[in-house]
Amino acid sequence: MQNALKAENITVKFGGLIAVNNISLSLSEGKILGLIGPNGAGKSTLFNAITGFTPIAAGKILFFGKDVTSQPSYVRTRSGMGRTFQTERPYEELTVLENVLVAAFLNHPKKKDAEEVAMFALAKVGLVDRTHQLSSDLNLARLRRLELAKALALEPKVLFLDEIMAGLNPPALKEMIEMIRGLTAGGISIVMVEHIMEAIIKLADHVIVLASGNKIAEGSATEVINDPQVIDAYLGTD
Amino acid sequence: MKKNYILLIVLLLVGCIYPNLPFAYLTVGITVLLFSGWATSWNLLGGWAGQLSLGHASFVGLGAYFVALGASQFNLAPWWAILLAMLFAGILALLWGRLTFGLSGPYFSLSTIAIAEIFRLVAINEEWLTGGASGVFIDILPQPFGLDFFSKTTQYYLALFYAFLTIGITIYISGRKIGYQLRAVRDNEEAAMAAGINPLNVKLKAFVISAVLTSIGGGIYGIFLSFIEPHIIFNLLLSIQIALTVIIGGRGTIWGPAVGSLLLVVSGEIFRTTFAQANMLIYGVLILVVILVMPRGIVGEYSHKMIKRKYAKRA
Repeated sequence: MQNALKAENITVKFGGLIAVNNISLSLSEGKILGLIGPNGAGKSTLFNAITGFTPIAAGKILFFGKDVTSQPSYVRTRSGMGRTFQTERPYEELTVLENVLVAAFLNHPKKKDAEEVAMFALAKVGLVDRTHQLSSDLNLARLRRLELAKALALEPKVLFLDEIMAGLNPPALKEMIEMIRGLTAGGISIVMVEHIMEAIIKLADHVIVLASGNKIAEGSATEVINDPQVIDAYLGTD
Repeated sequence: MKKNYILLIVLLLVGCIYPNLPFAYLTVGITVLLFSGWATSWNLLGGWAGQLSLGHASFVGLGAYFVALGASQFNLAPWWAILLAMLFAGILALLWGRLTFGLSGPYFSLSTIAIAEIFRLVAINEEWLTGGASGVFIDILPQPFGLDFFSKTTQYYLALFYAFLTIGITIYISGRKIGYQLRAVRDNEEAAMAAGINPLNVKLKAFVISAVLTSIGGGIYGIFLSFIEPHIIFNLLLSIQIALTVIIGGRGTIWGPAVGSLLLVVSGEIFRTTFAQANMLIYGVLILVVILVMPRGIVGEYSHKMIKRKYAKRA
């Protein structure tokens, strides 16, 4: 199976601080890769580096075999990377539908087609009854779902989900897990940063654990959560 | 969008009838229409793309000077002069935007002040071309099909055509991909990038269209004034007035700039004739009240409320 995404020896520095240290990862088509680790481990930074929102100090990023390392973020989006942001970024003066339309226009320049795609994405995340509401009036849980709808409307090949499950109640969590499982059935590959272990265990085919910018473990979800090094990283040693 | 086009046609008919009404003041009408056109053009950049310009007098002046110099020095008909001005304005906006859109925060706005200043200094000092500080006088204009450009009625219809052209273009843009991209970049640049949008590219498009459209109105203004002085036309006050018209009418709306210019020009005219010296004070208070009570502008507040009400009904 072809590699959808391959990142080689990525290093990100903020001044003197090494936020991500020489990390490699790869993702096969239709699979889900989980990124976990304690707060400040560099998960979101790695995420931003791969999607082009943070410059990297060293390394190489291949997207379906093509080197995208020097491409700006919006070009990577056009070639099939869709992402959500950890803190929601709605276009506040736009309605829910218009927010998603902006993304749908990427592959569908005609408004009618774009609207269809946008409505489809909104239906997937369960926001159809909110289409004409201003996005600034949504509550946090719905803003999360709006983020996801925006990413879905891009019709991405690889979807990057940054803590999309945070703050969801158990039934909503269950729904979201099922929805994401459904996406991979449709051929989308996913990289997810997540704190909610239940989601990682149920969804991720492969898990990478980061701590202080370093990769400390990788493998299947059950393998890594039993790894003593991982337990140390989360709970501390002594 | 259809509703907007219908409203546009209805208003255009009203505009065509206006000069035949007994109480019609053509000069006020021309001023309202020119300001509507400039403000609507400014709005594409300042309201839709969120890039505040305080230098749009440059493009007004560019159009006016091209027409005046064309008529007085180069024997160039005003329509060719306006076409040249549009080209020049577009290229200028492209170059200026490339240079300054990288700046964050208020720096783009500040840099635009410099454009008009540079033009003013050029117009004053390059006397061989521009007539220097004393300005240029348009003494003769061609008369195609017997059309007299010096008649107020002709000027009125030119201004009417211009104002409706800019509003028509805004309606067209608002319903298309580019219209949504403009607003996306304004509201959140990073999110727009994540939607595959190149923010610089979108802002440049807005700036170029805005500058080109403003220069057309500048050309008509030149004909209307028939005497152009650099310190009056390349004036920061004119740039601010254009921006203020939109802010009061409603940034990022279709009809806000037209409503704003109607309100500001007409009330300015009334205050000037009835309150004499106190007119600027009252004008200032009016602006302050509108901004305090309706921060989104008149049309902006209205459409914001409509969206909320529409949703409340559904829920």
